[in-house]
Amino acid sequence: MPTVVIASPKGGAGKSTAAIILGTELAYAGADVVMLDCDPNHSLTLWAARGAVPDRIRVLSNVTESDIVKTIKQYDTDGQIVVVDLEGVASRLVSRAISQADLVITPMRATTLDATIGVRALQLIAEEEEALDRKIPHAVVFTMTKAIRSKQHSGIAESLAGQGVDLINPPLMERAAFSALFEFGGNLRNMPAQGNMDGAIENAAQFAQAVYKRLTEGV
Amino acid sequence: MSDGKAFNIDLGRLKSREKDSSPQAMEKAERAGEELGFVPRDGQKRRGRKPSPRTGQVHAKVLPGISDEIANEAKRRGVQQGVIIEEAWAMYKNKSGI
Repeated sequence: MPTVVIASPKGGAGKSTAAIILGTELAYAGADVVMLDCDPNHSLTLWAARGAVPDRIRVLSNVTESDIVKTIKQYDTDGQIVVVDLEGVASRLVSRAISQADLVITPMRATTLDATIGVRALQLIAEEEEALDRKIPHAVVFTMTKAIRSKQHSGIAESLAGQGVDLINPPLMERAAFSALFEFGGNLRNMPAQGNMDGAIENAAQFAQAVYKRLTEGV
Repeated sequence: MSDGKAFNIDLGRLKSREKDSSPQAMEKAERAGEELGFVPRDGQKRRGRKPSPRTGQVHAKVLPGISDEIANEAKRRGVQQGVIIEEAWAMYKNKSGI
């Protein structure tokens, strides 16, 4: 089944949060999910240790540059989705993971700095597409967005869309429940209520569904 | 709180696709990445001699000739003096049935 790589050389863009939301929602919807923690900060591993790991999810820690391709190959089989959470730096590990991706998602806060650095991931994908002579589907998801869209957000979204970048709708809003995943572990449906839980669950499920659509229908 | 499924996944529609992971393909991907600053960042292997696993100590005084012989034999074989003592101890255990 498909490999989804969450990549941005910008730290703090929301990669691990997006990976956990995606993994837990896909698992909740019925998929077996293998999550690869390639971040030396071990964000996914910390999340997994906080509470019971939801059904149908496995978390593999300490996946490094030397074993990323082999590990993806091992789990990229019919029957499970592989979600790869990468470190927020420009590294060979990122290049290798992208080379094995069926979909690359670049989380990006709607700020000029995030967009400027995040675009480097898109450039890398374009270069790898040319080098490997295959299409690597990719999309940007805005993270930590506010209920009222800022002018900066609109400007960046328009600029990306104008360059043909696929933007995942809905963006992942700034929500207490998303942050609380790292406090309670598990998924959004079994954690103590944090803020507007219905809104958070709906946001997460729609995001996962938008990703699922891209995996099944192509971009 | 909502707990219903927002959507169902049709596992049959999620197929594994073949991706080239040959050394040649990896080299191409890495070269493309390096031009954009995506370079190796995994920690390099430690250089130099590995630490010895021999962390135990014996505190033995022996006759001067014996200490010279042990030292010379270890030097001849290119091993630490502790290796000679370990071998001697193994022989002693074997002989004594320990």
